[in-house]
Amino acid sequence: MNAFSYVRPTSEAEALRALAEPGAVALAGGTTLVDLMRLDVMRPARVVDLGGLPLDRIDAKTGGISIGALASNTAVADHPEIRARFPVLAEAIDAGASGQIRNMASVGGNLLQRTRCSYFRDLASPCNKRSPGAGCAAFDGYTRMHAVVGGSQNCIAVNPSDMCVALLALDAVVRIKSATGERAIPMSELHVTPDDRPNIETTLKPGELITAVELRDAPFAKRSRYVKVRDRASFAFALASAAVALDIEGTAIKAARVALGGVATKPWREQRVEQALVGKRPTQQTFDAAAKLALADAAPRPDNAFKVALARRVIARALALAGGVS
Amino acid sequence: MQDAPGPCRVVAFVRGWSPDRAGVLELERVRAHLRGLSAELVFESEHGTWLLRPDDEPHPIERLGRTRFRVDDEEDAVFVIEASGAVRFAHCQRTPIAGTLAPALQRATDVMLAQAPLHFTRRAWLTTCVVSGFALVVLSACKQKPSREEPEPAVRAPEAGEVDIVLDVNGQKHPLRIEPRVSLLDALRERLLLTGTKKGCDMGQCGACTVHVAGKRVLSCLTLAVAVQGKPITTIEGVAKMGELHPLQRAFCEHDGMQCGFCTPGQIMSGIAILDEKRATDDDAIREQMSGNICRCGAYPNILAAIKAARGGAS
Amino acid sequence: MKPAIGAPIDRVDAQRKVTGTATYAADTPVTRVAHAVIVTSAIGKGSLRALDIDAARRAPGVLAVLAHGNAPRVKADRTSGGPNERVLQLLQDDWIHYADQPIAVVVADTLERAQGAASLIVPRYETAAVVASLEQSLPTAFEPKAMVHGAPDSSRGSFDIGLAAAKHVVDATYETPNENHNPMEPHATIAVWTGSDRLTLYDATQGIFGVRQRIAEVFGIPKEQVRVIDQFVGGGFGCKGTPWSHVALCAMAAKVVNRPVKLAVTRQQMFSLVGHRPHTSQHIQLGADPEGKLTAIRHAVISETSSFDEFVEPSAMQTRMLYACPNVITTQRLVRVDAPTPTFQRAPGESSGTFAIESAMDELAYKVGIDPIELRLRNYAERDEQENKPFSSKSLRECYQQAAAKFGWNRRTPKPRSMRDGHELVGYGMATATYPANQWPAGARATYRPADGTYLVQAGTQDLGTGTYTIMTQIAADALGVPIERVRFELGDTAFPEAPVSGGSTTASTVGPAVKDACTMLRAKLAALTPADRAVGQAVVAEAKSEVSPERKKFATHAFGADFVEVRIDEDLGMIRVARVVAAFAAGKILNPKTANNQFVGGIVWGIGMALEEDTVRDRRTGRVVTRDLADYHVPVHADVPAIDVIQVDEVDTVVNSLGTKGIGEIGITGITAAIANAVFHATGTRVRALPITLDKIA
Repeated sequence: MNAFSYVRPTSEAEALRALAEPGAVALAGGTTLVDLMRLDVMRPARVVDLGGLPLDRIDAKTGGISIGALASNTAVADHPEIRARFPVLAEAIDAGASGQIRNMASVGGNLLQRTRCSYFRDLASPCNKRSPGAGCAAFDGYTRMHAVVGGSQNCIAVNPSDMCVALLALDAVVRIKSATGERAIPMSELHVTPDDRPNIETTLKPGELITAVELRDAPFAKRSRYVKVRDRASFAFALASAAVALDIEGTAIKAARVALGGVATKPWREQRVEQALVGKRPTQQTFDAAAKLALADAAPRPDNAFKVALARRVIARALALAGGVS
Repeated sequence: MQDAPGPCRVVAFVRGWSPDRAGVLELERVRAHLRGLSAELVFESEHGTWLLRPDDEPHPIERLGRTRFRVDDEEDAVFVIEASGAVRFAHCQRTPIAGTLAPALQRATDVMLAQAPLHFTRRAWLTTCVVSGFALVVLSACKQKPSREEPEPAVRAPEAGEVDIVLDVNGQKHPLRIEPRVSLLDALRERLLLTGTKKGCDMGQCGACTVHVAGKRVLSCLTLAVAVQGKPITTIEGVAKMGELHPLQRAFCEHDGMQCGFCTPGQIMSGIAILDEKRATDDDAIREQMSGNICRCGAYPNILAAIKAARGGAS
Repeated sequence: MKPAIGAPIDRVDAQRKVTGTATYAADTPVTRVAHAVIVTSAIGKGSLRALDIDAARRAPGVLAVLAHGNAPRVKADRTSGGPNERVLQLLQDDWIHYADQPIAVVVADTLERAQGAASLIVPRYETAAVVASLEQSLPTAFEPKAMVHGAPDSSRGSFDIGLAAAKHVVDATYETPNENHNPMEPHATIAVWTGSDRLTLYDATQGIFGVRQRIAEVFGIPKEQVRVIDQFVGGGFGCKGTPWSHVALCAMAAKVVNRPVKLAVTRQQMFSLVGHRPHTSQHIQLGADPEGKLTAIRHAVISETSSFDEFVEPSAMQTRMLYACPNVITTQRLVRVDAPTPTFQRAPGESSGTFAIESAMDELAYKVGIDPIELRLRNYAERDEQENKPFSSKSLRECYQQAAAKFGWNRRTPKPRSMRDGHELVGYGMATATYPANQWPAGARATYRPADGTYLVQAGTQDLGTGTYTIMTQIAADALGVPIERVRFELGDTAFPEAPVSGGSTTASTVGPAVKDACTMLRAKLAALTPADRAVGQAVVAEAKSEVSPERKKFATHAFGADFVEVRIDEDLGMIRVARVVAAFAAGKILNPKTANNQFVGGIVWGIGMALEEDTVRDRRTGRVVTRDLADYHVPVHADVPAIDVIQVDEVDTVVNSLGTKGIGEIGITGITAAIANAVFHATGTRVRALPITLDKIA
């Protein structure tokens, strides 16, 4: 790990000023940053510890819940209102990492969680994400864990977050502050695919700070589930996961949300599947048929081709659970 | 490769000392310093004279005699003497040294590592003695006695980037001067010598470094020490109260919830947290909640049994 | 007094382990110890063209940077060529044999500064093409020079005639991947020189005397001047069985900076610096008559070794004696790849070998159309047909019977995919477990201390978590005729009588008899003391060296067991979980049923990892390990491990050694991988012949 200077601001304004300095990065739970710094993948000149900021509140109001960016993953997953009103979020968080990491990891940090691509984490391998233009060791390498969609020859690194998949399915809104103002964007606009700039992972601008995530109550939110498939029963990243939410009125699906994790370079929304569900009866047949439309644009590598079919089956299972079809 | 000097010897005259009287902790600290000095210790009191090598039991040897070292009966003294006979460090004081032998040695270590001029009396003095076959010949002559001043505590000047922090560990406040890049794990292990917390991966993937910060289980390897100033930290060393094992520690013993024991402190810190937080609701919940603590020996079924037993005992 | 041996007493070191006061090598307090870190090569083969260490050397706190060019010359980085030793890489030349080979060592006053400075080193390489996998070098397979046990090849009868006579034939190739031990304690060494020629090493090792010998050779000093101490080993499983490069590099660094140095191997470096279980490809042919009686067996093993050293994964060994069959051929061959040298990993040979042979037996059971237990009973070996010796004891029938009954094997419907529960396919599988019972000479010392009436018993052995402290205390207490509270057993110090490496399930059988002998001698000495002697109050010491009885050579000595497994597989999602395991082991005298159960269970947990999860993947272009940490290299977590029911089958063996023990550390991981694979076949109808069985292989 490189030497760095450390500051611990006690106000948002102070934090924003500190973050505006060149080479500054924000430290929240540390589960991504400290890990990558120890690997020398990240070598910030300045670490801005956000731990002194009062940004960990979870406010449950009528119409929605606002989650402070520094709320721990555990606090979010344990929150009774979140469990009742947005179950998929609690399930997704509980399916990720370990108890210790969930205690440390913040919501804001999890939104910016970086890929687990082994080549990205190994300085001896070329990586466009680490050093643009260096090349991608993964593309022709060992790709079992890599993305089957949203990638290119420049980068096929998977976004590893479980939480983000749920937030995407829930149409969450991300609140962002900077020294010059404040903005809010939908989850779907936070992450970007690597294209020819794999080092750019989000639409966050330098010096900006995520302050909160907002969930709005929606008819589908309560009927939402997360299913994750991995190589061991716990404490493993997803081979494929699905966050789904269904609004069922009478015998028909009125609205649906479907998002995938573990298969794409960013949390991946499957609108084709959603559209295919609308108006249909919530049966296993409906779910299976709709799930088959997922990942139509998949471009898997030899080692991860299995993920395409797997992800479709994961969607079908999650829909069956959400739809109450056993 | 430069030739290391021969074995170093520390000679201590300490009134009231004997191996049985020294506390276990004191002896451990003395051993640590002897390793640091690559030295062995000869100590003498009215109870006898012993040779202590860092990894052996104290061994009685022939009397040295204080006079040869010009230490009088109302004094305690510590000398660090190289094989060549050169005295690298000498310290003498009227107040009894017994309780502070370890700190005195610590200072000796600091002085020797500082590559500073030899730290002893203003001028060298002459003494000759034979310590169980070890010839000590200091050639330069001097009538003066060793310094009576306290050796200055070797305060390292703060170096670029270092910060002063206070860690609150197991109810004790520890001031530290460290770089911000020091993890809580390395601060505990390498600075505070609280080595019960283990480094299994140093990247948040095994749970061996689990401690409690502000009552929550966290991974000390991914925590910067500087970021947890002022927060109460509990490590495995702080779990037993007044020598009484925590019920989960007892259960681990009874149910053999370990093999090699390396993951055990982390397992117990995690286990205590899930019991306190009432997450250990059933077998599958315990397995899931404990999955961040890898036990490569595979003692999982016994760990499960221990947590259930402690839960039963607690409720 | 009730004997201590056989009683399920609590681990005597448990209290130290649960309070964090057990001192592992890196925990040894050394005031202001300097820290060393190893810098490793990025490339998998080639040479160092240049190594810029200036920036690192100038970094704050740095005491030294060692590299090819400035590192002290050592006396011996090569071995005598024995199969128990590995060639070391000690910065003596610029050649790179494998990815992540040591190319420099940075020493600084703090760990952070050493690590920080290490990242400033800039190597330039001359890269050569890498041979990364077994498949690439198959045509160059060769016969190994030596094996730890036995010869590379075996043959009895005529395989060809046996196979020609067979009604049923299984002909299949099974593969096991590269695997890494990954004990929770990464290797670590603290080196303290006193003078220029006396060295104390606090080293994480399974064999303190092996380290002493090797390091003395490397530095050209008498072994008596090297002392190795390791009171607690945080797991070993084989990788700590031989000294590796980092131990010598740490001692070298300490000598250069003239102060004590600590060097801890990082978790990522655990994948390259300390050995691994090599990839095997095992071709098995079984021939059987219409009733399933074996007429021919061929087990041809090819395993990987490095380009510069030989290690054989002896996967064919058990096949030589496991079943009655007149015509058996086994062969062991090696192929060279550009990788580090492999080494012993828990049940080297038998773990990978039983996967192959016991999978093949399951395939044969389906071909013959009989129950897999029945097939094994029809081919039950009453004697070791290869060695032509009787077994000293063998209770495998009892293992099959007791485990099958407890498991409820009779509920199994043989047809694949015939058992299910909701979304889940249910599969039952079984296999035979086996591991040889060996014994080596060892020493022990017992001292009576009249001051407090206690007995101090010492041997230069190790406790890897296997319970050595506990069982030796029990053995000593019984031999002395005193309660265990009056006995203290010490180990892990070359100042004690010499004992061999703790490996191959031999510690109880090797050190146990020595402890027993020393204590028996001491007891006799004490009985012979006159009242006058007693009045003097001097300590009384007895030292013993146990030998292997010649009687043993007349017998084949093996432990046996049977594993029964239920797997459940989500039919849609493919996730495989082991739902329960019942296993029975007959391994001679069990000294402590509590710690023994833990050992057996631990072996089975390893089997779950080996069967379903573990895979050290190397990039085929560079030879670098891709799965280089515990997030990418999966070992079982709590949630992977179900209830495991182990039956300890009573067995009396008067041949193996004076305690009747056969060793229990490895047998748990044998057979179990095949039992799981067989259960997966039963559940799904898919026969997976290459471990690990991940969900994509049964989709």
